[in-house]
Amino acid sequence: MSFRKRNVGVAQPGDLSAARAHGDKAPVPGVRPSPLDGRLTTSTGTKSLDALLAGHAGLAMGTSVLIEESGTTDFGAALLRYYAAEGVVQGHNVHVLGMNESWCRELPGLSGVDGAREKEETRSSDERMKIAWRYERLGEFGRSRDRSIPQASRQSSGSHAQSIFCHDFDLSKRLALPTPGQLQFVPAALRQNLDFADSKTELSPFTNFISHLTSQLSSSPTSIHRVIVPNILSPALYHSEASRPENILQFLHALRALLRKYPEELTAMITLPSTLYPRTAGLTRWMELLSDGVLELAPFPSTAIAAKASSGVSTVHEEPPQGMLKIHRLPIFHEKGGGGGESSGFGDDLAFTLSRRKGLVIKPFSLPPVEGDSEAQQGLDGNQGKSTKVDLEF
Amino acid sequence: MSTRIPSLLEPYLSLPPEASLILLTSVLGASSNWLVIRFIYSALQGQDAPPEQGDTKVLLVSFMRDLNFWKENARRLGLDLDKLATKKRFAFVDGLSGLYLPAQGSAPVRAGQKVLSDPDLTAISKEIQHAIEMYSQDGASRILLVIDQLDLLLATGGDRVSAVEIEEMLMGMREHVHATVLTLSADSSLVSSQQTPLESNHAAALLGVAHTADFIMSLRLLDSGTARDVSGVVRITVGNQESITDQRAGGKMEQKELLYFIGGDGGVKVFERGQ
Repeated sequence: MSFRKRNVGVAQPGDLSAARAHGDKAPVPGVRPSPLDGRLTTSTGTKSLDALLAGHAGLAMGTSVLIEESGTTDFGAALLRYYAAEGVVQGHNVHVLGMNESWCRELPGLSGVDGAREKEETRSSDERMKIAWRYERLGEFGRSRDRSIPQASRQSSGSHAQSIFCHDFDLSKRLALPTPGQLQFVPAALRQNLDFADSKTELSPFTNFISHLTSQLSSSPTSIHRVIVPNILSPALYHSEASRPENILQFLHALRALLRKYPEELTAMITLPSTLYPRTAGLTRWMELLSDGVLELAPFPSTAIAAKASSGVSTVHEEPPQGMLKIHRLPIFHEKGGGGGESSGFGDDLAFTLSRRKGLVIKPFSLPPVEGDSEAQQGLDGNQGKSTKVDLEF
Repeated sequence: MSTRIPSLLEPYLSLPPEASLILLTSVLGASSNWLVIRFIYSALQGQDAPPEQGDTKVLLVSFMRDLNFWKENARRLGLDLDKLATKKRFAFVDGLSGLYLPAQGSAPVRAGQKVLSDPDLTAISKEIQHAIEMYSQDGASRILLVIDQLDLLLATGGDRVSAVEIEEMLMGMREHVHATVLTLSADSSLVSSQQTPLESNHAAALLGVAHTADFIMSLRLLDSGTARDVSGVVRITVGNQESITDQRAGGKMEQKELLYFIGGDGGVKVFERGQ
């Protein structure tokens, strides 16, 4: 009890009001300071992806992630949908560029909404018990670095039920659509204007995206915004004019400028079909250079998944990985030069699995024991070493 | 103080001789920002210059990063860019926030800061020249011009910008400053294949600058994969050996390949292979 008494004694009225001010700032839902340096982060909606982002335990505000995916699968869209759904649940403004309203009908719903809320509460309090007190406080008040935060105010802000940073989603459920203003769609200009008068003004296909974002961001400066651009430059969605370097790179540069201009309000996630825009091309490299984070999804061919699923699942409890994830660049971390983020997973072999309940799970890749091999090994063990010697002599 | 600048890099990071051009190249995953900050630091912090030559000033032109990023990283080295800006020793030309973003309202422009708003090359070079003139008014001062990612203009300019124009613009700016530090991307996908105009233009500009540079510090990732204690490799290639060793009394310029590691706190360790 002595420490509490000292706290009260040392705390000055100024400190208390400072803590209040931070307390007012902290309850923005879905945003928390990074344990590394206290910058604000938000969740990507995928827990294992949050954990990968160079120790910040979330996507730092004011940064963007480019996800490249090869082949015809669309795991990237799953990541985007979790990111969008997380934004919707947290009450953020979500801007989907290049798509229309039908995209949001497939957002995953919260898993077990009725009973789970309580369970979540108890679990989070359990987790709180495990975390050292010092770090836990850092998680909520990392920015203040104030030793004399009254305990009461800490608890009151904690009880705001907004402590959930990343929700659990269920792919088989559908998210109840929010108030109309919260999810906004800006379709891409598919057909080019054939009027001669307009061609002189040289409007880029991305101009309406940028003007939409600037007007939205300046009109509601305090709310959190998420920008989603699914399958950028895909010929099914964009006119070929869009993939001219000046158009797409100017758009990404402007988006980067917006992200830097609103460093506490805006994040962005973009997917790019890398079969059409391979990483060996200069254009793709510039798109990567203009994004803060670059991830590459390389799904395994579908036959491999089926074969593994038939053999592996029954014996091994874990689901087989569906593809590899490569990290080429991480926000903040690589901008500083890289290094020092041991938990980043940069350069590791990572595999991902998309499942209905757990969402997209990213974990280190390890090859399962090959079925035939393990039998052979068991056989060898049974027959002892002698036979192996015999086998070896030829 | 010397701990802030890695001792192995000290001879390269000190203020370059007059009219020299230093090229820093980076690749995705091995950015040159830490090196740029250290160039600025050694130019602004080094007080060993003879007083008759006046202060060293830094003009930073950044096309990919905003002032907040540079301020934050300079602060880790104990360099207060705001203070230096009021002392007129540091100026920043922002090539990010207004270049392709339509201006809305009038953001308050602080002292020693300029925001580029016209992506046209002549307009940009005029703005930069103007900034240089403002700082060279009092005569006895040496300006170090640092341009971060000039190649962005080449990539976003499309047909209107060619490698030759970029080099001409660079030449025009170099005439008015003491020395120039330039960062460019040198990813293999931008340089090696040269199939699209974007790639061939980039390669032409990069090679052109590389041949005129006095020395090149190229950053890349480890060839043998990633390591916990190595962030990347810095290779130093000296161009015209004689001119630079004549004028530099201190350290001799050597071709070197060193490893570097950047800690979580922004500190940099530079070491030789095997150390």
